[in-house]
Amino acid sequence: MATPIAMPKLGMSMQEGRVVAWPLPLGAAVARGQIVLVIESEKAEVEIEATASGFLRHLYVAVDATVPCGTLLGAITETPDEAFDAESFRIAHDHPEAPRASAAAAPRVATAPERAIPRSGSKPIAPAARARARELGVDLARVPGSGPGGRVTREDVDAWAARHERCIEVAPGVALEVPATGHGDPVVLLPGFGTDVAAFARQVPALESSFRVLGVNPRGVAGSDAPPAASYEVARMAEDAACAFEGRAHLVGASLGAAVALELALAHPERVRSLVLMTPFVAASPRLIAVLEAWCRLAAEASPETLASALVPWFFGAATLADERLRARNARGLAEIVARVPATTLLRQAAGLLAWSGTRGADLGAISLPTLVVAGADDLLAPDAAAVARAIPGAAFLLVPGAGHAVALESHEAVNDAILAHLARSQAGGNSRGRSVNSAAGRPPISKDS
Amino acid sequence: MPRILSTGQAINEALAIALASDPDVIVLGEDVAGGGARDAEDVDEMGGVLGTTKGLVKRFPGRVLDTPISEMGILGTAVGAAATGLRPVAELMFIDFLGVCLDPLLNQAAKLRYMFGGKARVPLTVRTVSGAGMRSAAQHSQSLYWITTGIPGLKTVIPSNPADAKGLLLAAIRDDDPVIFCEAKGVLMQRGEVPEGDYTIPIGQAKVVRAGGDVTLVAFGATVAVALAAAEQLAKEGTEAEVLDLRSLQPLDEAAILGSLEKTGRLVVVDESTPRCGIASDVAALCVDRGFDFLNAPVKRVTAPHTPVPFAAILEDAFRPSAEKVIAAVREMG
Repeated sequence: MATPIAMPKLGMSMQEGRVVAWPLPLGAAVARGQIVLVIESEKAEVEIEATASGFLRHLYVAVDATVPCGTLLGAITETPDEAFDAESFRIAHDHPEAPRASAAAAPRVATAPERAIPRSGSKPIAPAARARARELGVDLARVPGSGPGGRVTREDVDAWAARHERCIEVAPGVALEVPATGHGDPVVLLPGFGTDVAAFARQVPALESSFRVLGVNPRGVAGSDAPPAASYEVARMAEDAACAFEGRAHLVGASLGAAVALELALAHPERVRSLVLMTPFVAASPRLIAVLEAWCRLAAEASPETLASALVPWFFGAATLADERLRARNARGLAEIVARVPATTLLRQAAGLLAWSGTRGADLGAISLPTLVVAGADDLLAPDAAAVARAIPGAAFLLVPGAGHAVALESHEAVNDAILAHLARSQAGGNSRGRSVNSAAGRPPISKDS
Repeated sequence: MPRILSTGQAINEALAIALASDPDVIVLGEDVAGGGARDAEDVDEMGGVLGTTKGLVKRFPGRVLDTPISEMGILGTAVGAAATGLRPVAELMFIDFLGVCLDPLLNQAAKLRYMFGGKARVPLTVRTVSGAGMRSAAQHSQSLYWITTGIPGLKTVIPSNPADAKGLLLAAIRDDDPVIFCEAKGVLMQRGEVPEGDYTIPIGQAKVVRAGGDVTLVAFGATVAVALAAAEQLAKEGTEAEVLDLRSLQPLDEAAILGSLEKTGRLVVVDESTPRCGIASDVAALCVDRGFDFLNAPVKRVTAPHTPVPFAAILEDAFRPSAEKVIAAVREMG
């Protein structure tokens, strides 16, 4: 049985006190009422008497330390050698409401690499932003702040509301941001892991003159809702995407987005007119898995700029990396994109991706839709794109020499030409089966089944 | 052909118009005629310490009166004259001397109309010079308009340019309540176009002197030029500032302040006085109290520090609000 010695609160205004002296040595016998401690508060020294007899067993706070009232300073045990765990005693003293058992074995806090989710209670919000949010019915917890210290301004609320004007509800309480442009038959853009539709920025201008282009920001990405879940399953993402358009659409997916497109084509082939699979995979390579892990950790611990600079070597081909200005520009663009995907979303997407990996390899032969597979010859993350193309009956394949995983960004002209030709053929009712598409550099492409 | 006058000349013109158009108007103060008790024909060497009333005594003999060096005497005389039928324009050489003549203003001029149920009135104008910038040291450089602004029953105006000075002074003289007319040192030497003839500017009306949608700079007197200079610089950086010249501190054009705040969401008050209990704090409080939902950033106050006005030139310059300080405040609010 131990008795605590704590910093007393000697007056209304006393908030803290300084330990002036421990008159007795550690282990000394103490009689109840004996001076066991001297403290100073508000320029007066006060002698503190022991409230129990026993032995001065442990000192938590050294002389000269200033601590808040109530802080545990020392412990007196009835006998000099009875069982006494100083740390457990302190935890029990500091958390009297906690059960003794948990105090004895303090639970290890899980150190999930999660970036703090901004809440309206913890970030500054300008009054004008509150008023505008009330007016527009916007939940401020979801609006990122651009002002000093992350303050949410009226402009932030307006921008958020404008972005969400075209949000589409894909499940009760889950709305996805689906920016749309252009007129014509729908083309649905499905971004890859940890990115948003801005990754297709160089495709949209080529597509919007002939098509209705719908970019689908997945759950947890940019302005889309982020419902709590252990993982964002690829099948769920495909169902979400199916809610973003009516009738049939051409699907253009990159990387994880290609997986979503495949899943949607397999689940609802009647909703799909054609497929464009950029840097697709059906089984995540060990290198891809390693990069995803690093991505998740960097997103939680570092700035978007740092994350982007680490991702650039994995995303771009050697030619792009060799050009310092091009590399810097792409890093800046990538930083803007990854900043819109919080670490929580990355963990959920990664879980969904890994669960999906390896489940659909055998189903590719069942796809009978016009399909174009685009790959970069210098792509380290999805090296099996050619195999995917081979496995899909009649799929056309464009291999862009020198391009990396971000082939749509770094070789957009060749990619756009191939996509437009593919869409034109698919629109005409035919398909691009068995064809190969000339690469930008005019080198012989690797064609399917050759 | 526009007429360019200094603010001092514009005030002189307003006084001449007031004297000419109303026989009840008199001008009194230290050296406003030109010196001592000499006959009008011989005097007019000074026209007040800054020469503002120069020439008036010859045109209006007997109505422009030199007084003894006693602010208590000047204000006591002026309040009595106003309460008994004249329309005096008293000159309090520097507002720093307010302390020696506060009672006639605080307890007489400001109270008579109220305490006599409207049967008495005090159509008094007190012209006084305020502000730093002329190396006049701690006892001749203060901006104490916040004291008169805080006394119910007094009005306080402070023009920022020659044309406003003329119109506001004529409005002050013709107002049936006591009006403190502050001539900021930074404004007195300023030159600008002044309309001919007799006109007044209504007391209590602020004026947007530069339109902009990004931030409101509330200024008055000498700080209007400071705010305009800051606005020009900010415009080069892509921030369009609206500059609101209060012109009148009491009554305060609250609607103009809140209207501009509603438009911009951001507001800086630039006041050359010290920060405590001042106009800047008053405007900031108004914004928080009645414009809370307009605020997109904290209200910023750019004022002098809470110290006496320094005599050393370099310190006096540092003491005063500057365009740089205004720009820094705007940047800080994000």
